[in-house]
Amino acid sequence: MTQPFAGVRVVEVGGTAAAAAATKTLSDFGAEVIKVEPLDGGAMRRLPPFIDDRPTLNGGGFHLALDTGKRSLALDVTTASGRQVVAALATDCDLLVQELPPDDAEAQLAALPDDGASTVTISPHGLDGPFRDRNENDMSAFAWTTRMHRHSIEGEEPQRYAPQVATMQVGATATAAGAAAIWHRQQHDTRSTIEVSAVEAMAGNVDSFFAIWTFSGMDLPRPAGPSKMAYPAGNYECGDGYVLFAAQGEPFFSRLCAGIGHPEMLEDSRFMDPAQRPLNWDLFMEYLDPWLKARTRLEVFTQLQDHGVMVAPVLEAPDVITDPQAVARGSFVDVEQAGGGTTTIAGPPFRLADAWEAGPAPRFGEHTAEVLDALGYSRDEQIALFRAGVTA
Amino acid sequence: MTSRLLAGVTALEACEVWAGPMAGSILGDLGAQVVKVESYPRSSMTRPLGVAAGAQGSVISDDDGPPYELSGIHHLANRNKRNVAIDIRSESGSEAMRRLIASCDLFFEGYSAGTMERLGFGWDEVHALNPRAVMISMPGWGVEGPYRGYVTLGSGLDAGAAHVSVRGNPTRDTGFVQPIFHSDATGALTVVLAAIAGLRRRDETGEGCFIDMSQIEALTWQLPGVFAEWTMNQRRPERLGNADPHIVPHGCYRAAGGDTWVTIAAEDDRQWAGLASLIGHAQWADSSDPHSGIVGRLRAREEIDAAIAAFAARAPAEEVAEQVQAAGAIAAPVVSAPGMLASPQLQSREWFETVSHRYAGEKILGGFLWSVEGDEPSWDLPCGLVGEYNHDVLGELGFSADEIAALQRDGAIGDRYEVAAPPSS
Repeated sequence: MTQPFAGVRVVEVGGTAAAAAATKTLSDFGAEVIKVEPLDGGAMRRLPPFIDDRPTLNGGGFHLALDTGKRSLALDVTTASGRQVVAALATDCDLLVQELPPDDAEAQLAALPDDGASTVTISPHGLDGPFRDRNENDMSAFAWTTRMHRHSIEGEEPQRYAPQVATMQVGATATAAGAAAIWHRQQHDTRSTIEVSAVEAMAGNVDSFFAIWTFSGMDLPRPAGPSKMAYPAGNYECGDGYVLFAAQGEPFFSRLCAGIGHPEMLEDSRFMDPAQRPLNWDLFMEYLDPWLKARTRLEVFTQLQDHGVMVAPVLEAPDVITDPQAVARGSFVDVEQAGGGTTTIAGPPFRLADAWEAGPAPRFGEHTAEVLDALGYSRDEQIALFRAGVTA
Repeated sequence: MTSRLLAGVTALEACEVWAGPMAGSILGDLGAQVVKVESYPRSSMTRPLGVAAGAQGSVISDDDGPPYELSGIHHLANRNKRNVAIDIRSESGSEAMRRLIASCDLFFEGYSAGTMERLGFGWDEVHALNPRAVMISMPGWGVEGPYRGYVTLGSGLDAGAAHVSVRGNPTRDTGFVQPIFHSDATGALTVVLAAIAGLRRRDETGEGCFIDMSQIEALTWQLPGVFAEWTMNQRRPERLGNADPHIVPHGCYRAAGGDTWVTIAAEDDRQWAGLASLIGHAQWADSSDPHSGIVGRLRAREEIDAAIAAFAARAPAEEVAEQVQAAGAIAAPVVSAPGMLASPQLQSREWFETVSHRYAGEKILGGFLWSVEGDEPSWDLPCGLVGEYNHDVLGELGFSADEIAALQRDGAIGDRYEVAAPPSS
C-alpha cells in the first residue's frame, strides 16, 4: 500500500505562501513536489517567525511547516530560459501550481507543452478584469470579501484574521482544485487549466455571509459587542481564561441550563419564552457567571460537553499543543531537518492509514543540480544557466 | 453542464450546517453526482422552522413559502446536489440508507463521533454494505480521542485551534472577539482532498477505506506562524490586529463618510515611494530621508500611521483604495455584501450567479471558488427543497412507486417539516 498521491508529480512555482500551502498536503500525502523558487528565495521563506529571531531563508516557520518533503530548484522564471526549464519539468508531471504576477503567469502558461501538466494559477484577482494587475496582500483579501467588515465592533476598526490566514485558505483552495485535476488527468488523460483568484476563493466560500444579504435584503449591522440578545454565543470568561459558546439555540440552551445545575431555568419563561429571553441576559449571567468562574476552561468544556452543549476552550498556541485530544491523537509531529535540528509542526489534516508523512524542508536551492541533471541538462548547459543568472 | 473533473464519482452526504454541506456543493461543482441525506423529521439548524429560529440568527427572505426553504445560510452551502429527506432511524428509512451507501463511491458524514455507529452506519457496517466505499467522518475534534462525541460549530474549533487568541482588536479583551466560521471553509476544502485521496487509495487496493477527519486538525496546519512562535521561540503569539511588526504602513483606516474603512499597506520601498507622494509627503521617499527605508518607517510608525489616517479620511473608501492602487501600493475598501456585489472586478468577471428557486425566487449568490478553462463549474441545481429528489433517487435504487408511497405514508421519508407556530405577541 502506497501513500495516496504516490507517483504524482507536482511543480510549484512562485515562492509564495499560497503556492507552498497548495502543494504541501499533496507532498505530505505522497506526491513528489519540486519547488521552483525565485533567486531571492521568494516571499514565503521570508515570512516570520524565525528560529531565535534570526532571519534566514532556511529557518522560517512557514517554510519549515509548508515545504515538508519537497525539493528545491532555484530558478528565475521571469526569463525565457527559466520558463523553458519549467516547461521541461511540466512535460512529465501531473500538476503545476503557480503564483506569479499575471504577465509572468501567462508567459509561463504559453511556454508549457500542450500535453503536459494540468495547471492551477493563483493570483489576487484573476488573470483578467480591471483589478488584474493590482498588488494585494492577506489583509485586502479579507477586506474585499465581507469578513473584515463583520470581524469588528460597530464604530471600531475592522480586523483581519491572524496573519496569512486568507493566504493559507487560498492555497488550500488551489489544493482541492489541483487534486481534482490530478484525478481527472489520470482517469481521462486530459489536462485542465484552472485559475484561482484569491478574492473569488474567499468570497465564494461558505463563511462570506454574502447570501444572508441577498436573501433577507438586510445588510447585517456590525455587532455592537458580545450578543446579549441571542445568548450565550461568543467568548465568556471563566476561571483561567475564556470559553466560546454557541449555545443560544435549542437544544443547546436547555442542555446548558441542566449542565450548570439549574434545571429550574427550563421552567422559567424569562428564559424559555423567545420574546422574553433577549431581555434577561443580566439575570442569565447570575446563573452562568459564578459557575464559569469556579472552573477552568477545560473543566467547563468537558463538563458541559458531557451534557451535549456546544462550548469550546479558547486556547493559546502552547495549550493547543498540550491539549489532551491533540496529545492523544498526535496532532503535532516532530520533523527531523536535514541540516540538523527538529521542527514541531501540525500533523495531518485527515487520517488515512499509512498515508501521511512530513519530510524535511529543503534548503534553498538544495536540489537545483539534481533536478537539472534529471531533466537531462548537461554540465555546460547548467553552467550556462548559472552564468546567465537564471539559477542559483 | 457543470465541470467534468470528478465526473463519474458518486458521493453521499450526511452533514448539517456548513463544512460538510459546502464540501458536498464543491464536489458537485466538480462534477460528482452528490446525494444529500437530510435529517428528517428533525430539520437541520440552517433550516429554521420559524422566522426567529436558528442558532446563528438565520435570516430568511420574505418570499412566500415555508421558512425552512428560505434561509440564505442554508442555500449558500447547498447547491449541485440532490437531496432526499429520510428518517434513517425508521426501519424502512434505514433500508433506503443502506441502498444509498451500497451504491456510492464516497460517503461523508459530519455528525458527532459515534452517532453513525449508533444508527447502524458506522465504518464496519458501511464497509460490509459496500466494500469499495470510501467513508469520511468529520467530527469537530475527530473520531478518536478523549473528546470523542463532542459537539461544536466552526466557531468552537476556531477557539480550540488558538485562532481566537490571536485575532481581533488588540485593545479589547477576548470577550469582544467575534465568533467566526473560518474552519467551515477549510473543512469543506479538506473533505475534497480527503475524498480524492481515499478514492486513489481504493483504486490502488481495490477496497474502500475509512478517513478520520478532525476539523480542528484540518484548520491547525493552516496557522503555521501562530504555532511556530511557540515551538521555535517559546513565545506566546500576540494579538496583532491589523498591524504588522515588520511592515509600515500596514493597517485599516477610517475613510470619509462615517463608519467606513479602507486597508492600506506599502510592503516595500517602491510601493512606499508611490504612496508617500500620494499622501503629500513626497520627501519621505527621498533616499536622504529616513522614512524612505523600511527601518526608518518602522521607527516612525505612529507618524506615518497618522499621515495615512489623515489622507484616508478625505475620501470614501473605494476612492481612497483606487488612488492608493494607482500609486502602486496596496489598498482595499472594507466592504459588506453590497460592496462586494459592486466590486468592478467581480462584476467584470461575471462572477456572481443569479439562481432561480421555487420559493426564494431569483437570488444573486456568490460564484465558484475557481474557474476551469473550457470546463467551468455551473449552477445546475439550486438548493434542493426538502425531499425534492426522494422519488428520483429512491427510484434509481430500485424502490417501486408503491414502495416509495408507503415510505412516505409511514413517515420514513418526507418533503416538509412541521413549522412552529408564530410566537404569540
